[in-house]
Amino acid sequence: MHTLPTSVYVHVPFCQHRCGYCDFTLIAGRDDLVPRYLAGLAKELPPSHGVILKTLFLGGGTPTHPQPAELAQLFELLRSRFAWNLTTEVTVEANPLDLNESRLEVLKNAGVNRLSLGVQAFDDQSLVILERNHAANDLAGIIHRSQGVIPNVSVDLIFGVPGQTLPQWQESLARAVEMGVTHLSTYGLTFEHGTAFWNRLSRGELSRTPEDLEREMYAFAMEWLPAQGYMQYEISSFARPGYQCQHNHVYWSGDPYLAYGPGASRYVDGRRETNIRSVLGWLDRMEQGESPVAERETLDARARGHELLYVGLRRCAGVERYDFQQRTGIALDDLVGPALAKLVQQGLLVDDGKRVSLTMEGRFLADMVASELL
Amino acid sequence: MFDQRFVRNFSIIAHIDHGKSTLADQLLLKSGTIDQRDYREQLLDDLDVERERGITVKARAVALSYSHHGQAYELNLIDTPGHVDFHYEVSRSLAACEGALLLVDAFQGVQAQTVANAYAAINGNLEIIPVINKIDLPVTRIPEVMEEIESVVGLPTDDCLKVSAKAGLGIDTVFQAIIDRIPAPSGKPDAPLACLVFDSKYDHYRGVITYIRVVEGVVRKGQKIYFMKAGSSHEILEIGQFKPDMVPTDELGPGQVGYIITGIKVLGNVHVGDTVTDFHKRCSVPLPGYEVPQQMVFCGMYPLDATDFEKLRDELARMVLNDASFSFAPDTSDALGFGFRCGFLGMLHMEIIQQRLEKEADVDLIQTAPNVTYQVLVRGGGEVQIDNPHQVPDSGSIEEFREPIARVNFILPTERIGPIMQLCSDRRGVYITTEYLGQNRAQLFYDLPLAEIVFDLYDKLKSITQGYGTMNYDITGYRAADLVKMDILVKGEKVDALASIVHRSQAERRGRALVRRLKEQISRHQFEIPIQAAIGARVIARETISAMRKDVTAKCYGGDISRKRKLLEKQKEGKKRMKQFGAVEIPQKAFLAVLDTGSDD
Repeated sequence: MHTLPTSVYVHVPFCQHRCGYCDFTLIAGRDDLVPRYLAGLAKELPPSHGVILKTLFLGGGTPTHPQPAELAQLFELLRSRFAWNLTTEVTVEANPLDLNESRLEVLKNAGVNRLSLGVQAFDDQSLVILERNHAANDLAGIIHRSQGVIPNVSVDLIFGVPGQTLPQWQESLARAVEMGVTHLSTYGLTFEHGTAFWNRLSRGELSRTPEDLEREMYAFAMEWLPAQGYMQYEISSFARPGYQCQHNHVYWSGDPYLAYGPGASRYVDGRRETNIRSVLGWLDRMEQGESPVAERETLDARARGHELLYVGLRRCAGVERYDFQQRTGIALDDLVGPALAKLVQQGLLVDDGKRVSLTMEGRFLADMVASELL
Repeated sequence: MFDQRFVRNFSIIAHIDHGKSTLADQLLLKSGTIDQRDYREQLLDDLDVERERGITVKARAVALSYSHHGQAYELNLIDTPGHVDFHYEVSRSLAACEGALLLVDAFQGVQAQTVANAYAAINGNLEIIPVINKIDLPVTRIPEVMEEIESVVGLPTDDCLKVSAKAGLGIDTVFQAIIDRIPAPSGKPDAPLACLVFDSKYDHYRGVITYIRVVEGVVRKGQKIYFMKAGSSHEILEIGQFKPDMVPTDELGPGQVGYIITGIKVLGNVHVGDTVTDFHKRCSVPLPGYEVPQQMVFCGMYPLDATDFEKLRDELARMVLNDASFSFAPDTSDALGFGFRCGFLGMLHMEIIQQRLEKEADVDLIQTAPNVTYQVLVRGGGEVQIDNPHQVPDSGSIEEFREPIARVNFILPTERIGPIMQLCSDRRGVYITTEYLGQNRAQLFYDLPLAEIVFDLYDKLKSITQGYGTMNYDITGYRAADLVKMDILVKGEKVDALASIVHRSQAERRGRALVRRLKEQISRHQFEIPIQAAIGARVIARETISAMRKDVTAKCYGGDISRKRKLLEKQKEGKKRMKQFGAVEIPQKAFLAVLDTGSDD
């Protein structure tokens, strides 16, 4: 008997504006499509089953962008297909300015018990460059109001924003800690192909943060946050005890998960599938009764192994040999023995015989490590 | 045997893209040698690279049957390559002809290689018929082009033909001129047999196919023949003509062109330029042969994976089968391991062989930057040929270092003379003369070191003249020069495969440009990598590749893990053609950086 995945991701693609650095699946300024989206989702979601979910995650886009009534409809729809209770981690990604009383009310009533706020920075200079619609002064009020309704609040912060200084970054971290958030995600800004930032970079209108400064910013977060009680448990994730994101752990441990909505990716029965990334394309397919899947790939043992290494090593706990073999059917050393030894010798990995994990230096070079292990 | 009064042997001299293959195709079509059904473009070019690049590399011969005023003629078209690298093949083909069509583009006019080949034909006492092609182009410069033919090539243009091979205009006048103006071959059927071997090719099933032109006597199937230079005798198993496929016949008489098959299996045993005579009734003197083409450009080719060494050797041996002007010998490099030193006629020849290897052979290669052959006079006597920088002896034991010099002629728009003269003087050129060809074009002569020509001169000429300039060169000899070996050190280690021979006056500039290019080519590692150029113990240029300090993508696209995996796989793929030197990985491209210093030079 195979077990149904107990983790679900739902992609809500609406945004007021596409920020210059963002290459996620979204559609901006088309709020008129929300009803069609809800109808499409109703078609894509499976019929109801009684299993209590372990995690439910609404990401975007901006899941809090639709009107409160539409948001309520979305949760009503989800409730009709999935079961969750107080033991379920229910996360919603939110744009700070969207979190007015009525939306918070809707979320609370729906059983949302974790908010992930797209704060990105606590200084106006960075917020302007990142094209966020909130100002630094708005944030304290919004965060406290949210915590009053849903106490478990995580914030995302971006470092390496063009022009950002180390003191500004330190200040952002300090403000988040001071507000008592439970969890912090720190992302180094990346310039992705096809984004406005990429084009501005190639035209010389934006410049990359010097690598050494970026490294210093990241190093500061890794040193300072644990001292404030936020343990690093993954490349970009820090949490107070008991507040690690369970949903992300599902991705990183190679467990299966379901996913719905435009551009959503699922992993079921050893098969990875990604829905069509175009929002209109997804709507069209749902309305025509066609499958939304654009890419499908069944992983063999080796591919499963390589992936598990890539995502597993992002976790500070690293990859355990026994668990690795159980999950992939292949021994870690058979797959990448010599490369592992080389990386250990280069001081990027530690290997205690049972478990392999990144060293502090390795965390700075995790992509390089991952490509060596492919 | 065909009555030799009705035989005409001719070739077509033309610059690349002036329409030689199209005209040849038209002649085949209009004479009825092939019908429309079998027609495909560039019929005579049977190498893939020839079709792809629109150039002819090997000489070809085809016999056209043409009826004129009720009389049947045999017109033998001996096709010639147009590029300077294959100049020796041109002279070979011309020696088998009594006449040539000088084909010139109605807009582009006379180009440098056309001039060189036209002179070769004039020297060979060939009847030359100027033909202006592409007269149907929207813009032509026919009067100026005629003036160029008169002033540059020195041919009268009163009865110059005007055609469009593409549109099929004026093709009849071409046949008419070939018959009327090109003399019939001389030679007596009853004289002792003398045939000129003008080319050969290897056929997988039949062995070597030898291309011959009968000069004296008659050659027959079953005859026992003697190769005068090789000193070998064989029986003719098959004799025939190309129409354009091989069509067997019983005999070929004076002036006729065709092939013989003798069961020879190795291309090297047939010498182009050799004379075929009758084994029993030999002719007294061999025909004048050809100069052996000299390989002027060398490069190293190494398998990326050492276990591919044998495979690469087999592939190179296969190339030699069809191209005796290419050679290879085993070589070792401290940096690259076991591989081969390969010799070529010129840069285009090298590119063609390399392309064929990549296309036809499944071997990942590292190719080193090409260099020319130098001569070193060693102190205390003795001369050494240097075709690999690592053979250069200690500077203390060098009496004289010599490099090959070529006489280069450029044909270019007059307003670009200044920049080209600047370029030549930067490249240590010695100015000879300028000739104006009408109002807008000029011919410029320089003596330039061959190494400077190999070093991207052609690309520079094309960019300075927006593609309108052309060049041709002949090696004229060796000249002493202040040359030095420039070593490249990567993280303190000499990488022998990156060493080059440069003129002392240019060493610093080249060194700086090269280390800068290498800095771009070699990706960052966890540690700093100094890259230095040095002459002896003296470092003349240095760049440092900074250590990779941070390389981590923080966000992970929600659950879209395959996307990230694909990005990483791409990154990994880019690393495939890398060679490990100590702790540093150097990509294949870096070994060619020596050639490409971009705008820095």
